[in-house]
Amino acid sequence: MTEKKYLETHEWYLLSDNVITIGISDYAQGELGDIVFVTLPEVGQEFSKGDSMVEVEATKTVAEAYAPMDCVITEVNAALDSEPEMINTDPCGEGWMVKAEVKNLDDSGMLYQEYESFIS
Amino acid sequence: MDVPHLSPLHTLHLENEAKFIEFAGWTMPFSYSGTLKEHDLVRNNVGYFDVSHMGRLQINNKSMDTLNNLICSDIKNLNPGKALYSIFTNVEGCALDDVIFWKFEDYILLICNAVNASKISDHLNSQKVEFENITKDTALIAVQGPNALKTLENLLTIPVSFSCLSDDVFTYARTGYTGEDGLEIMVDLKNLNILIDFLNKHEIQPCGLGARDTLRLEASLPLYGFELSEEISPVEASLKWTITNKDSYMGSKSINRQLSSGQHKFLKKFTIDSRNIARTGTKVKAGKVDGVVTSGNYSPILSKAIGFALFDSEPDTDLLEFEIRGNFIEGKIIRKRFLS
Repeated sequence: MTEKKYLETHEWYLLSDNVITIGISDYAQGELGDIVFVTLPEVGQEFSKGDSMVEVEATKTVAEAYAPMDCVITEVNAALDSEPEMINTDPCGEGWMVKAEVKNLDDSGMLYQEYESFIS
Repeated sequence: MDVPHLSPLHTLHLENEAKFIEFAGWTMPFSYSGTLKEHDLVRNNVGYFDVSHMGRLQINNKSMDTLNNLICSDIKNLNPGKALYSIFTNVEGCALDDVIFWKFEDYILLICNAVNASKISDHLNSQKVEFENITKDTALIAVQGPNALKTLENLLTIPVSFSCLSDDVFTYARTGYTGEDGLEIMVDLKNLNILIDFLNKHEIQPCGLGARDTLRLEASLPLYGFELSEEISPVEASLKWTITNKDSYMGSKSINRQLSSGQHKFLKKFTIDSRNIARTGTKVKAGKVDGVVTSGNYSPILSKAIGFALFDSEPDTDLLEFEIRGNFIEGKIIRKRFLS
């Protein structure tokens, strides 16, 4: 079983059969405050590692989620359109943002323990 | 760096697991349960804000005439027992601070923004206004919301709107910064526990500065440093109604010139229908007229982005184009209040 990996830019991804599910970390949602709008990409959109994929507007500030590796969007969490607060309540579960097919594997994210020491 | 000031309620905030921010040299609660929850609490029920960071200066009534020469409103002819929102202006007619006065028989309480507390103290000293700074001897708590008064009437005699009262323990006014009814209550530190026990007994929940900001924005109320500054006059900030001082006062020439010529900047309220928030500093155009967003955030009541923008001159269209991270986003000027 694969584990979630985290990036320094506070996204998490979960790799399974060449598909990654992407969201933002609990730490990130806490820093953003109440999330009110999420702008998701279109299915089929291609991203290179480091490209901005998702825009998150919160009461405190705005943030972007970046592609952890080269990928093509296969599914977006459309429920976030009407319930963006799911990212606050369940950032690593119901609050996932996109699924994408990996084009160029780069599994260099941090395991949670490492990420935890990164944010503390 | 100076050590930030702590509110006299700081221990209580820690117990309530507040998230803190540094604001104007103070460590103050930003949120507890979350900004939107706290916002809804104040809009639909009741909540309290610790605003002890705001400056509190007790002005001797002997200085009334001098004070009247420094603000754009007429405080001289205001009846004791009334509260007044006004603006200290500089010689250019722009805002040194926007403040609340509570006028009593023998003194005036001036409540100023924390960020301007030293500036206003220095200003009053330089103009020979006699006052005592009681900020550190007292706490200031705003209890706000549609259910605020029916709870508070168990503790205090409720004054009519924009009026102030004082008893042995509390000095308070029916004023606020949320668009909701309620009281702002000042209390000596030795009696602070009476107020805290009352709030706890009635289960009035604490709210942070995050919700205070979204509430004031939704209520179309200006925030110093954003809608008002030493470069923005009350005329420009759509606060003409505060200009009731008929005498000559600091900056009155400039203000009167702006009023008669219409040659000045214009602050406008706006909404955006797409999923974007135009935040402070965002460039905006109304036709050919350039502007900049002074404050912008999400309005829970409207479920859309709202804000204030300051334009170089009066826009001749209500259609706006914001430049947000390289994209052009449409919005529009709103003439009525955000809150119905």
